[in-house]
Amino acid sequence: MVQFNAETREIAVKVVYYGPALSGKTTNLQSLFQKIDPKVRGRLMTLDTKDDRTLFFDMMPVFFKTHAGVKVKLKLYTVPGQVMHESTRRIVLQGTDAVAFVADSRRSEASSTLAYWNNMLKNLEANGLDYRTLPIVIQMNKRDLEDARGDDEVGDLRRVIQPPVVPAVAIRGEGVVETLYAVLQLCYRSLDRAFGLDAKWHVPEKEFLGKIFAHVNLAGTRLPSHPPEPWGGGAPPR
Amino acid sequence: MSLPASFLQQRLPLADLLDLRAFAEVCHSFAELYRVGLKVFDEAGNRLVEVKVGNADFCGYIWTKPSGREQCVATVGRVKSEPIGEEPAARTFECFSGCHYVVQPVLYEGDVMGRVVFGPFVPESLVELPQTLRRISSDFDAKAAASYQEKIRKVPVGTAEKILKHFMDLLDVMVFTGHKNLIAARLHIEAVTESYRELSDKNRQLEESYAKLKELDRLKSNFLATMSHELRTPLTSVIGYSEMMLEGLGGPLTAEQREYLGIIMEKGENLLQLITSILDISKIEAGRVRLVLTEVDAIQVMRDAVATLLPLARKKGLKVGCEPGAIPRFQADRDKVRQCLVNLCSNAVKFTPAGGSVTVSAEVLAGERVAIHVADTGIGIGEEHVDRVFDVFYQVDGSSTREYGGAGLGLAIVKSFVEAHGGEVGVRSRPGAGSVFTLVLPVRPAPTVAVTPSSPVPAVGR
Repeated sequence: MVQFNAETREIAVKVVYYGPALSGKTTNLQSLFQKIDPKVRGRLMTLDTKDDRTLFFDMMPVFFKTHAGVKVKLKLYTVPGQVMHESTRRIVLQGTDAVAFVADSRRSEASSTLAYWNNMLKNLEANGLDYRTLPIVIQMNKRDLEDARGDDEVGDLRRVIQPPVVPAVAIRGEGVVETLYAVLQLCYRSLDRAFGLDAKWHVPEKEFLGKIFAHVNLAGTRLPSHPPEPWGGGAPPR
Repeated sequence: MSLPASFLQQRLPLADLLDLRAFAEVCHSFAELYRVGLKVFDEAGNRLVEVKVGNADFCGYIWTKPSGREQCVATVGRVKSEPIGEEPAARTFECFSGCHYVVQPVLYEGDVMGRVVFGPFVPESLVELPQTLRRISSDFDAKAAASYQEKIRKVPVGTAEKILKHFMDLLDVMVFTGHKNLIAARLHIEAVTESYRELSDKNRQLEESYAKLKELDRLKSNFLATMSHELRTPLTSVIGYSEMMLEGLGGPLTAEQREYLGIIMEKGENLLQLITSILDISKIEAGRVRLVLTEVDAIQVMRDAVATLLPLARKKGLKVGCEPGAIPRFQADRDKVRQCLVNLCSNAVKFTPAGGSVTVSAEVLAGERVAIHVADTGIGIGEEHVDRVFDVFYQVDGSSTREYGGAGLGLAIVKSFVEAHGGEVGVRSRPGAGSVFTLVLPVRPAPTVAVTPSSPVPAVGR
């Protein structure tokens, strides 16, 4: 749940990267860590085991101040993917404002992806969150692998499901920024509807996204270079 | 349903992210190294650490003058509380005494967590005591003050800022590490608590289902007991009247009628036996088996059992052998042991094709026990079934089109009766090579075991 502090004029937003084990959640955050200017982000906190599997989560804070003097603090989390960390996933998901679901595009991973999607819906419900209204973006990761579903299949997927789908090869940093952009844009709109970010807090969408993405290395992304405009002038990316 | 608020949602004060004792040690050694004092405040203005180096005499002297004291308090207040922004840069505060402080906010994840005050130090640009200091008192002793001030480190402001920046870098790592460790520990506890809650939930559900199943099982046993009893009553009449007719009490019969009545009687007896088995099993399951212990002549019991099955065995063309050996009398419930042997022999006959043989033998075992074996040359039992053949209602061929009849109760009854004696059952078998079933019974069963089985035998699966 987004936290507003009217006294200190602060908004704290939480975004969680969810998905099956080894689908690339941590890789997404590591790539963002490389691409985001240290001026607006903190350290990447990684709580992992010695074999590099996420134990609790990874977390990276991003923060900026708007012209109206509002401090926006954004925290990006990943959940641990291994099945046994179910309770940790539920805890990390608590109070999230948006979700980036990182899916492995390979056909062989389809059933485990579906299982984790359902698992996420269950854990969202356990946290009192409604997946029908929560901003969710699906990242189809590992597009470069041999067994990956074709673009036509991803296109079909886009037509049948509600969340936007962003293709990615996170290990090469492709689609990572686009995913963050899509999820933050949806997140902004949902918060704006609920809390009047623009009207009450004087944080327009363009500034919210601009303050972050002006400090992101956009080279090689499909985002327009500085200053970034919302996708297609309004409609969420499809 | 909603989980308790996680630790991750909370904002933590600086003191929670640092081990204050260890941090104070680091501050001391840092201040000693540069010979400049150091103070750390949290966001609320609480002082977490204070190290004074070299300024005690100088500041002490100023404090002896009322005006000096007043201005000192004001300076310290500014250094501690005056807003310094949220940029990672040092700001210099000048003291009326000519000393300087450099102050920098502690920033973590974009938040101001507190501030670090480095000083007082004497800026290298200071050549003499400033007027602001000289004026604090008419009897101000400039010479003494100057000598006290020499004990305070003289350093260029730029250098002081660099030193402070170095300290801030160290502090940043300490805060990050502390935060990381704290999160790991707290989240570990939260995860375990959450898993525990989830498991407790599941356990409760399982316990409820288990209680429900147990109740159903009890109802089933009651039902079986009642039904077997109710079935037996009319069946006794069927058999009794058939017998009466056979004896001619209802008038003379033709040979054909006699044959039919014979079949009615035989099948009636079979049915009665089956119902009795069901009644036995329900009694066993309800824990109501009572053993009546007497001296049992094993040889007699074995011959009895063999004799019962002999007609059927001959009809199938089987050879039947009885090798009692030299076996002593033992304490047991005669009827139950006999029934065990009849059940085993009847199985042996049932599962052995024509031309085979069934042999009953006995031997004395160590530890005052006797063993009775029923061996056949029948179809045998596959390895995957051996462990379960003694389960209630278990049948190796459970299909509806199976070749061999039966209710699946015979061996379960054998096992229960033998265990009620404190004995055990066993089987060795190979498919196609026949089976050997063995009863091991104590020569003198313990009375507690003999009176009543301590716990009812579960209905299915062991």
